[in-house]
Amino acid sequence: MVGLTEPRLAGVPNPNAANDPAAAMYPDWESVYQDNVVGIYQLVFRRVGNAADAEDLAADILMQTLKTLRLPAPVNNVRSYLVKTARSVMADHWRSHYAAKAAALELEHLPAGALVSPPRSESADRAQRLLGLLPDHFRRILELRFLRGYSVREAANEMGVTESNARVLQFRALRKAAELEQEVLA
Amino acid sequence: MTDSAAERVARFVDDLLHGRRPRRFNASQEEVEAMTAAAGLVAGRVGADIPDKAALDRIHGRLSEALDESPVLDMRPTRRTWLRTLGTAAAAVVVGVALDEVASNQSPSGPNGAAPTVLMPDNGTWRRVAAVTELPAGHAMPVSTGSIDAVVVNDGTNISAVSGICTHLGCKLEPDDATRKLNCPCHQTAFSWSGKVLYYRLKSAPATLPNIPVRVNDGQIELFVV
Repeated sequence: MVGLTEPRLAGVPNPNAANDPAAAMYPDWESVYQDNVVGIYQLVFRRVGNAADAEDLAADILMQTLKTLRLPAPVNNVRSYLVKTARSVMADHWRSHYAAKAAALELEHLPAGALVSPPRSESADRAQRLLGLLPDHFRRILELRFLRGYSVREAANEMGVTESNARVLQFRALRKAAELEQEVLA
Repeated sequence: MTDSAAERVARFVDDLLHGRRPRRFNASQEEVEAMTAAAGLVAGRVGADIPDKAALDRIHGRLSEALDESPVLDMRPTRRTWLRTLGTAAAAVVVGVALDEVASNQSPSGPNGAAPTVLMPDNGTWRRVAAVTELPAGHAMPVSTGSIDAVVVNDGTNISAVSGICTHLGCKLEPDDATRKLNCPCHQTAFSWSGKVLYYRLKSAPATLPNIPVRVNDGQIELFVV
């Protein structure tokens, strides 16, 4: 299935292209941009969590891909190359910003279909499912911080713990969430 | 060690929750895992991972600057020409003739760099095709005037109109609001709402859909057609 997106909207799979995705072609860079920019941005945002980095990385991914590819080219080829480039660009980002090699390894498992966007962003559903799997005290701290926007101090007060304990609890909750994401939601 | 990692990750989370670009630091594998999970949770906030128009414009601008090194100016009449000749007064009532495209004659907006053409009939008149209230934001609607099949579009900012006939072999295009595309049912070609070819499965790309002059007059959407 080839999910193709339009700028300004989370796209949905296109029923026509789904019939024979190998045959669909992108005529020029504008069509590659229009069809994929939102999907790439969301793919990146889910891994960096902020708009400034997501914008820069999405632009880098598109730039590197479009400077390399010769168009017209089949949709499938372009999208595969976009994902491959995304892996490389995001791995570089994690290495250069956080000296992180593990993130690069994790990105090796990014599926070729990672650019396929659901009808609306799946990130919210995924986050909710993840929170639902966590033990109560872990879920509570993450809900207060990420869903209700509490500061560490406010969350600590709400939970009756010290700020320092709230930070540790948050750290452990996030690690548990990462573990669950790999085990259950992968 | 754990406290220190917790502090660093907490700062990272604070930056994300305040919409800031996080500060750099050397992270352990455990921290990276936690930070990745935090990024996923931030993305799960309503609308967080939807890029705004300004961000998309900046990305597009960067690509355009790098990839359109030798823009070819198309001298055929465009909507810009048409708007100019129509005069300011008339232009004031013409809504949404895709102003971004009118203003960006330098970037190729169709296959082979062809700018979209405007369908300007010699003896055209303004014909009502629908009430504005029938075309909510994010909706594309096929209309017919008898002589012309068109699709009128409300993208949330502008109302525009393009030919509703595929430029390949003349099949009637089917609007798909969810993807903001106009799909050709015959040969898997798709056009954007502005008429640009998004993809095709033909030997060569079909032409961009002609634009049709559109205006809103007294709450009615009107097309300039014969």
